[in-house]
Amino acid sequence: MFVPENLVDLLQYLDSHQAGVHLIANGTDLINRIQRKQVTPKTLVDLTGLHEFRYVKREGGTIKIGALTTISELIESPVIDSRYDVFREVAMKFGGPSIINMATIGGNICSASSSEDLLPVLLVLNADVKVRSIHGERTIRVEDFVKGKRITDLKPNEIMVETSFRELEARSACSFEKVGMRNSLIIAFVNCAVYLRLAENKLCDEVRIAFNRVNGKIPQRARQTERVMKGKKLNEQSLSDTVTTLRNELKLTSDFRASEEYRLEVVCAIFKRTVGRCADRLAGEKILV
Amino acid sequence: MSKHLLKFSVNGKDYAIIVQSHERLLDVLRDKLGLKGTKEGCSTGDCGICGVLMDGKLVNSCLILAIQARNKKIVTIEGIGSAEKLHPIQRAFMKWNATQCGYCIPAMILATKDLLERNPDPTIEDIRRATGGIICRCTGYLKIFEAVKTAASEMRSQDN
Repeated sequence: MFVPENLVDLLQYLDSHQAGVHLIANGTDLINRIQRKQVTPKTLVDLTGLHEFRYVKREGGTIKIGALTTISELIESPVIDSRYDVFREVAMKFGGPSIINMATIGGNICSASSSEDLLPVLLVLNADVKVRSIHGERTIRVEDFVKGKRITDLKPNEIMVETSFRELEARSACSFEKVGMRNSLIIAFVNCAVYLRLAENKLCDEVRIAFNRVNGKIPQRARQTERVMKGKKLNEQSLSDTVTTLRNELKLTSDFRASEEYRLEVVCAIFKRTVGRCADRLAGEKILV
Repeated sequence: MSKHLLKFSVNGKDYAIIVQSHERLLDVLRDKLGLKGTKEGCSTGDCGICGVLMDGKLVNSCLILAIQARNKKIVTIEGIGSAEKLHPIQRAFMKWNATQCGYCIPAMILATKDLLERNPDPTIEDIRRATGGIICRCTGYLKIFEAVKTAASEMRSQDN
């Protein structure tokens, strides 16, 4: 294991030692994968000393979250006010206290497993990921960063340092829902994040919908459904029509966690619930049952 | 297999010991420091039995490599109260007979301490959430919840 003294040490090490190197933060995902022999790192590089990447801040209309910020630190941050309760919804179903005290934002994004909970939320927030190597920094959209199950755009000499997204505008809200076996440690059957912005006339102005675990590979946007919702008024009828589109759009699969048929029903139910919660937040009252 | 010098504090005492890269915090606490109060359960982060406080927050010691605890303050069940003077949380667990086999209790007590330090007057939902990551194989949750409520009330009255 390489334990860097500081960031420069770390980046220099990564630039010159690339084969078989795995980055480790608090290990909630990686330690299990090593025990199961799903990965066999030659060297682990410990990131936990990089305290400079533990922050949540608001800068120029953007919310920036350091990669080593834990889920607990995120939801306890004053920057994450009630408009961003979507992150508390993630945390409540992410795991028990010991897990959210350990799991990091960067770890959740870079693990890029098919059940990561933050990815759908970051997708609908149009978030970016910032990565750094000894040669400099680059910023990539989360959508382009996650390329496949357990595959990201991170080069062997880079580390992820931050994720950021524009602040929610007026008349916009975001919500998350997940279904699994146990709140304190759920690997999701499916999860769903929705971003909704209403126009002044209360019609849907912009909708972004993302699911994870629906195709067993990577999180995906439901763009066809988004287009159908745009310009519509939100009510039971329009939502029911939208669900019909969603049913046709999603490519679901069966696996050991849930069958395709069950997933489809759950997806539709949590989609409606998530849209309803966004709408409630915007109206300050329940406008959908 | 590289070796590292691990300097950290456990239950208020400073240690400097040699650990190997692959050693987990759980193993170092139990086998090198002889603190057998921290138990091993699933070893995969699912059951929460190996919980200890790291810089005041509950973590699973089975998922932390020992060297990652460098410069941290660890508290295990041995650091809570003493045989002569039990901590109010321990007294409350005894009062309610909240221990059945007892295996999950070290983690339950540490989870309770973490909760009550942040939230001295928790609701039942707060208690369920705070202890929800720890599986009691005897399913003795109700008495555990009562014990946490009693501990909270005793600790509040001590503070006043």
